[in-house]
Amino acid sequence: MLPYNFRENCKQNSVHLPSNFEFVFLNLYNLVYLLGIVFNYSFLNYSNTCFVINMSLINNTINFITRFNKPKTLGFLVFLSLSVIVTYVVAQQHFILEKEKKAEMNNDLKVIQQDLEKTLKNSYTTALTLALTINDQGYPINFNTLSKKLIESNQNISSVQLVPNGVITYVYPYTPNKQALGLNILTSRIHRKEALKSISSQKMYFAGPLDLLQGGKGIVGRLPVYNNDKFWGFSAVVIRIEQLFSFFDHNALSNSNYYLQLSKRNPNTNKEVFYLKGIREFKNLNYVSTNIPDGDWTIYLIEKESKATIDTTIIMLAVFGYILSILFGFITTSVLQKPRELQILLEKQAQILLNSELKFKSFFDQAAVGIANVSITDGKFIAINHKFASLLGYTPKEMKSKNFMEITHPEDLKNDMEHLDRLVQGNINKYSIEKRYYKKNGKIIWVKLTVSYLTTLEGEKSSFMAIVENISKRKVAEKKSKIYQQRIESLINTIDGIVWECNSDTFNFTFISQKVEMILGYTSEEWLSTPNFWETHIHPDDKFSTLNYCNEKTRSRVDHDFEYRMIAKDGSVVWLRDIVNVIRENNTVKSLRGIMIDITKTKEIQDELNNSFELVTEQNKRLLNFSYIVSHNLRSHTSNISSLTDLIESSDNEEETREYVALLKNVSNALNETLENLNEVVNIQSNLNLVVESINLKSYIDNTLIIVADKIRLKKAVINSTVNDAIELTYNPAYLESILYNLISNAIRYSHPDRRPEVNISITKEDNWNVLEVTDNGIGIDLERHGSKIFGMYKTFSNNPESRGIGLFITKNQIDAMGGKVIIESQPNIGTTFKIYIS
Amino acid sequence: MTKKSIWVIDDDPIYQIIMKKIITKSDLFSSIVPFANGKLAIEALKSVLDKEVDLPDIILLDIEMPIMDGWGFMDEIAKINSQLLESVLIYISSSSIAVEDKEKAKNNKSILGYMSKPIKLEDLYLIANS
Repeated sequence: MLPYNFRENCKQNSVHLPSNFEFVFLNLYNLVYLLGIVFNYSFLNYSNTCFVINMSLINNTINFITRFNKPKTLGFLVFLSLSVIVTYVVAQQHFILEKEKKAEMNNDLKVIQQDLEKTLKNSYTTALTLALTINDQGYPINFNTLSKKLIESNQNISSVQLVPNGVITYVYPYTPNKQALGLNILTSRIHRKEALKSISSQKMYFAGPLDLLQGGKGIVGRLPVYNNDKFWGFSAVVIRIEQLFSFFDHNALSNSNYYLQLSKRNPNTNKEVFYLKGIREFKNLNYVSTNIPDGDWTIYLIEKESKATIDTTIIMLAVFGYILSILFGFITTSVLQKPRELQILLEKQAQILLNSELKFKSFFDQAAVGIANVSITDGKFIAINHKFASLLGYTPKEMKSKNFMEITHPEDLKNDMEHLDRLVQGNINKYSIEKRYYKKNGKIIWVKLTVSYLTTLEGEKSSFMAIVENISKRKVAEKKSKIYQQRIESLINTIDGIVWECNSDTFNFTFISQKVEMILGYTSEEWLSTPNFWETHIHPDDKFSTLNYCNEKTRSRVDHDFEYRMIAKDGSVVWLRDIVNVIRENNTVKSLRGIMIDITKTKEIQDELNNSFELVTEQNKRLLNFSYIVSHNLRSHTSNISSLTDLIESSDNEEETREYVALLKNVSNALNETLENLNEVVNIQSNLNLVVESINLKSYIDNTLIIVADKIRLKKAVINSTVNDAIELTYNPAYLESILYNLISNAIRYSHPDRRPEVNISITKEDNWNVLEVTDNGIGIDLERHGSKIFGMYKTFSNNPESRGIGLFITKNQIDAMGGKVIIESQPNIGTTFKIYIS
Repeated sequence: MTKKSIWVIDDDPIYQIIMKKIITKSDLFSSIVPFANGKLAIEALKSVLDKEVDLPDIILLDIEMPIMDGWGFMDEIAKINSQLLESVLIYISSSSIAVEDKEKAKNNKSILGYMSKPIKLEDLYLIANS
């Protein structure tokens, strides 16, 4: 974080850097800051290290030293020293430049001084020449002529004067300067001091610049003149200040880098007065000065630029130098850092290696499985972990003196060696087997052994690696489970039923017990290997209903118990009761399990029972019917007999008695007939050994028609028979004869009085039945009223004198006795159809 | 006491003869009219309905008969639904000793009693005095 912030800072600062110079200082500042960070950082690291690792004191010390000599620090030091050097060189350079400049300025100043002095010298010459005009009497000769020449020869001088005894007496040119005449300069407050200075120095002294009486400003060069060693006065030249300044201006212009300034200490006020235009306050600027003793002036040469301004080349040099030192600093850091990084990497790698070795060592030693390195040449244990040794009850040291062959169970050794051979030959990469070892105490331990090659880095096969796992418990459990399984299997196979399991969706079987072979003849293998075996072997008549039922129950997840038939291998039909459990897992039906029980025998018995029950029921019905017969038909006769005998007893005369006896005879005959009829019915019903034979139906019909031929003729009945010669029925001949007679004669007997009787006889097939139909167009019968009684004994429904109520009763009994049935369809006044079902 | 008239409805001709003899001998009834089945009897009954005099006082009814049996006759009587018929006393006389027939007779309010054949003189006394 800190370096990043630093960089940020630097960026922000650089945005508003005011000058290159400041930038240099800022960099310096930043470098110092960086140095601080580096120290802080290393210190923090150091304390962290202390806290976390807590190594020995020596290590700490070494670390500390190493950290102190950090590349960053060194880099910074390099930068710092280079910066110092750069700073020094730059400073030196600066000083040299300053010096050179000063010298140059002094030179310039000297030239100016010389120029000025030359002017002053010229003025001196002029003054001296003028003084020479004075004769011994102290009066000037040819003053005006000479003066004129002098002024002409010296451009700078504006006028000349002769001042005997300090009084301006002679002036040239006269006109502009006449006002000065008469001025005693030795008494004038302005002039006195400087005039006296000329006298005392006995040299020409330039006074001023001062205000001239003749107007304007000027300097006055006064040369003391002695006549016969006696002070005469002054020979003076006046240089107008403009003249002097033009000189200065001229000189000053020669170098535009400088200002020129002239000053003089005011003799009266002792205050320095500057006379030139331009800068007056320059003490803080770079300047040089020199004194002109002839006028007590000071000339200044002032550099126009600020004193602080530094040459751009120096700044460039400094910047370049600092950049270079930063660069060197960084290069040093990075150069030094490289080996250090490598060193750290090396240490890290070494640590990783060490760790991984430690890890592997602990894996090896603390593994929950036995691991051993086995020699490829003699099978000895080169290295072995504790687990391996402890599995066998040895110490690792003891194990190393053994080879794997001597501790392997002899029965398992061959298998082991075979696998090892294949491994050596390169057929396999590794192998896993289960085998037995002998423990040190002689006991056997079951292990799962996995053997593979241990290869060197070059891929060379150096030794075997064996991993063993104790599977004794598993082996015991396996044995137990096997025994348990066998027990379950034998239990399942002893059950007198087929135990099975199947997929609930497909009804494909996943298990079926061996009992299936005993019950259905199929082996469990053929059952399981064929899809849909169960479905395809259900009895065709039961298949649809069975599958529907199963699907329905499975869908509604209800355990079920049902019966159906299957076709056994030998083709026979086997009745099964299937008790099915719907197995659910997580609320979805997974499979069905059940047991099929052979109930064929039970079914047979049940059928027999049903048959006998039906028989008994039927016989009961007949018995009941018989009791009716007895009650209605026998009792009516006996009651008549009883009544008649009573009447005979109470008879008054012979004739009456005879009449009763005749009646009694009638009753007796009727009773006899009834008994014969009953006997016939009992015979039909109790006749269990009825003879059946193949009968040609048509011949029997023809025969019957011959018997009833009289009645046919009498009633002019039409008989239509569609029965052909080919129809053969298996039936009792007498019964068929009786049935045909009763039906045909009834059809003719109950003919309709309004139409010609017509009887149609036909035979049709209906399912497994032959149906004999006898239809008439007779009077018909109201089946709603009489339907229940139509086949009853002595049931008559007309006042036909031939109706005895016995024919249909016998017919019905005969048909029933042959295992068939009879159906009547009739409508009053339309006709009647009898259908006899013959099996 | 005025003698009552009686109708005997039965298909057995011998029984009819016997009944005629016994009834005549007993001298308990003013008249005796035989019918061979229920249908004949109900037709006769319908034809005499408007003449009170010719209505029988007592009917002896057999059950088992062709054309119309005893129960059919009783159904027809119920259909007529005449006030006059309430005075007619109907007795069943049947050779049947079946319990069902007796029960059925008992449940029919129009039937006064059930007599098993043979009909004795004492039975006639009873019905004549009822």
